[in-house]
Amino acid sequence: MLKYILKRLILLIFTLFLVITATFFLMQIMPGTPFNNPKLTPEMIAQLNKAYGLDLPLWHQYLNYMINATHGDFGTSFQYQNQSVGMLIGQRLPISAQLGAQALVIGVIAGLFMGAISARNKNNKIDGTLGVVSTLGISVPSFILAIILLYLFGFKWPLFPVSGWGDSFSESVLPTIALAVGPAAIVTRFVRSEMIEALSSDYVQLARAKGLSEKEIVNKHAYRNSMIPVLTLIGPMAAGLLTGSTLIENIFSIPGIGQQFVSSIPTKDFPVIMGTTIVYALMLMVMILITDILTAIVDPRVRLQ
Amino acid sequence: MSNPILKVENLHVNFNTYAGTVKAIRDVSFDLNEGETLAIVGESGSGKSVTTKTLMGLNAKNASIPDNSRLLFKDKNLLALTEEEWQHVRGNEIAMIFQDPMTSLDPTMKIGHQIAEPLVKHRGISEKEALARALELMKGVGIPDAEEHINDYPHQWSGGMRQRAVIAIALAADPEILIADEPTTALDVTIQAQILNLMKKLQKESNSSIIFITHDLGVVAGMADRVAVMYAGKIVEYGTVDEIFFNPQHPYTWGLLNSMPTTDTEEGSLQAIPGTPPDLLEPPLGDAFAPRNVYALAIDSREEPPFFKVSDTHYAATWLLDERAPKVTPPKQILTRWAHWQELQGQEA
Ligand SMILES: Nc1ncnc2c1ncn2[C@@H]1O[C@H](COP(=O)(O)OP(=O)(O)O)[C@@H](O)[C@H]1O
Ligand SMILES: [Mg+2]
Repeated sequence: MLKYILKRLILLIFTLFLVITATFFLMQIMPGTPFNNPKLTPEMIAQLNKAYGLDLPLWHQYLNYMINATHGDFGTSFQYQNQSVGMLIGQRLPISAQLGAQALVIGVIAGLFMGAISARNKNNKIDGTLGVVSTLGISVPSFILAIILLYLFGFKWPLFPVSGWGDSFSESVLPTIALAVGPAAIVTRFVRSEMIEALSSDYVQLARAKGLSEKEIVNKHAYRNSMIPVLTLIGPMAAGLLTGSTLIENIFSIPGIGQQFVSSIPTKDFPVIMGTTIVYALMLMVMILITDILTAIVDPRVRLQ
Repeated sequence: MSNPILKVENLHVNFNTYAGTVKAIRDVSFDLNEGETLAIVGESGSGKSVTTKTLMGLNAKNASIPDNSRLLFKDKNLLALTEEEWQHVRGNEIAMIFQDPMTSLDPTMKIGHQIAEPLVKHRGISEKEALARALELMKGVGIPDAEEHINDYPHQWSGGMRQRAVIAIALAADPEILIADEPTTALDVTIQAQILNLMKKLQKESNSSIIFITHDLGVVAGMADRVAVMYAGKIVEYGTVDEIFFNPQHPYTWGLLNSMPTTDTEEGSLQAIPGTPPDLLEPPLGDAFAPRNVYALAIDSREEPPFFKVSDTHYAATWLLDERAPKVTPPKQILTRWAHWQELQGQEA
């Protein structure tokens, strides 16, 4: 197990290296330059370029970036002078992480419940209603949902604050729901089909033949077996939350890294773009690794190697 | 003869489907005596599994059973039970061994716990006591080094070992009736023999009754006391093992016997029964086997044959036994069997 995790971590570092390299060069293709404020004179721009090392040949810039990165120095933001990328992200990452984690936990738990209810009521009204709801949940993008939620519960019935972060928990309610609906819908559908399969499996038939009640069968046999495949969804869903949260953070004025990422692109804030991309990639890979380890713990048939 | 522990009377099972009503079981009656093994044989689709599921109260949701059908277990009609009462019967008074050991154990639960489960449920003992008993059961069904394997998961075991675990589960709460639905069909031949021997040995120890379902008459000879032959949702012939093997009367039984390999089978003499079983959405009038029966009489297509008595223990539903019917000569292999029957009778007299 430990050996496996170590192997995965080495692979992770290698992948990260590829991601950094690709992003670094792709960024250069973007039109425009970082310092395009009309008030800046050409001399000042040249000076700035020199200060940030942008006058060097590309390969040299790349080398510098890599060397600094291995020392934990990801440069300084162009946009917010004198703020290191590490510090900028360090302030904002916890906010995004909290939002994402809240949405993921609520989404998965809701999905597990609704999926099981749907499966046990297969093909009746409850199942049908949940089917429609989950289809909507999957197909409506989170930002549209956010706007609807804002309108309904921010303005029409002002139950929750419409923007901000960190002053009270209620500020996080609407953005969390907007983000959680997608994962909840995906998990609902997945658990439903897995549960239906489990409930018609031979081992559930045997459990029935043992004289267990339907409730005991669901709790002791069907749930665990239908949850294992759901675990594999968590990695990709976490990725969806990352990208989804960039828009949600903007809509609700949440000072997370998503908001920062979005604003760093038009300003060509290269170090911030790089830093955020690295964080996204790292978080995604760590989530997938955790998912795999969890699967191995829950599913006795899976041996990590 | 000892007392019947189970009486099945006029059992009908229908399935409602989009295409119509599938009449899967059509008026089946039989008794199961204490301590005996009754084999139910028949081709695939003849209604064997539906019969067993009905006995466990585990039929599919689209099943319906008319009110005049009765399943009397120790004089209590199982068909009148509530779901909760059924749960007390299942695994406790009537237990079941399933066909495919590769899929009938929960892949995510330790085998020891799976064996302990019915004990916790029906005996109300603690998990710890139940696991201790599970260990004994594992030894009883011949699992080597049981102590080391009680915490194994199913995927770590071979099919034969898993079927032993399934048997241990069925025996856990010491049921009076054990239903085995093709318990060896999914296993290879050597393992098959081991499992059958195990079941026989365990039955001797516990004196439980067994209903043994199979499509293979070959495994019946060493296992069963009595045999019921099923076709298209009906029992067409039943009797003691010797009566069915050596004095068969129904052409369907002849067909089954002729398609069964034996040690002294002449090469090329094995014959599958031609044709296919009827559609149970629209069961034919008269004898359902008639279209596949070279000995069919004109009346077979009009009227269903009643059971004709061959002996006190042996009945067959074929018009050939009617006194008005012409005498037919069965296939050669059946004549050989009949000759053997005459010898057996001679010895007894
Ligand atoms: N849930 C169901 N719905 C409709 N038809 C069914 C259902 N279960 C069984 N049947 C039909 O009942 C008949 C008997 O099946 P079964 O008892 O499984 O046969 P076997 O003798 O091979 O065990 C078959 O024709 C089968 O298609
Ligand atoms: Mg069957």
